[in-house]
Amino acid sequence: MIDGLFASANYEGVKKMLDATVLRHKAISSNIANVETPHYQRVDVNSSFDMELKRAIASNQTGNVNSIQPRIEVDQQAVAQNRDGNSVQLEKELVSMQKNMVAHQLQTQMITGKLSKLRKAISGQA
Amino acid sequence: MIEIMPGVESAASALQAEKTRMEVIGQNIANANTTRTEKGGPYQRQVVQFQTYLEGKLGVDPSDAGQKVRISEIMSDPRPPREIYQPGHPDADDNGIVKYPNVRVHEEMADLIASSRAMEANLAIIRTARSMALQTLNIGRA
Repeated sequence: MIDGLFASANYEGVKKMLDATVLRHKAISSNIANVETPHYQRVDVNSSFDMELKRAIASNQTGNVNSIQPRIEVDQQAVAQNRDGNSVQLEKELVSMQKNMVAHQLQTQMITGKLSKLRKAISGQA
Repeated sequence: MIEIMPGVESAASALQAEKTRMEVIGQNIANANTTRTEKGGPYQRQVVQFQTYLEGKLGVDPSDAGQKVRISEIMSDPRPPREIYQPGHPDADDNGIVKYPNVRVHEEMADLIASSRAMEANLAIIRTARSMALQTLNIGRA
């Protein structure tokens, strides 16, 4: 059926990346909200997500791509800079928010590109 | 469930907490020279305590819920009052010493700036979430 039009590992991969981007924004907002909470540990999208997605896209199986789920977890790499045990650095969070926003723009444009190519193919326009 | 604007709940909780902190700072500065309170003795500086929490919503997986922040407690600063020699003061003791609050105005001003920066950062989160939401709504439009 129509699912066949969209069943490519790349397209499904971009959708997963978009999920992860939205989730990362959530993680960043939680970090910034808790920038002054004692003993708060910064969170991020699970670090294994990127590798898993890369492997799944390389395998070219949409099933593999669909089975990956990004999730939020505590960032074990981050160490507290202050004595209050909080591992958030505001500047880093703001920079990663900006990066995340650009990534979101890129991903939405990639999806739009795929859809408009399909539309052109269907309508037969040059 | 997927919300349209990710992360704004956390940012909103932080804005509320920062607002309370600013109110407490304002109260401290206003009472920086209050030597007599209803409880007796000089005013004691108040400090806020931030606490992170997860709202237990039905159907939300805690692993991908944003953590919010709230003020768990407003405590008195245990530091001793400032003692100033002022024999003519109505609240002076037998030796002419007046106990002033343990508020240091420069400390409060520094906290106030930190608080307003934290507010700006949270507003940036909301702005970004909004632009991401609009971008998402534009998917498929050439």
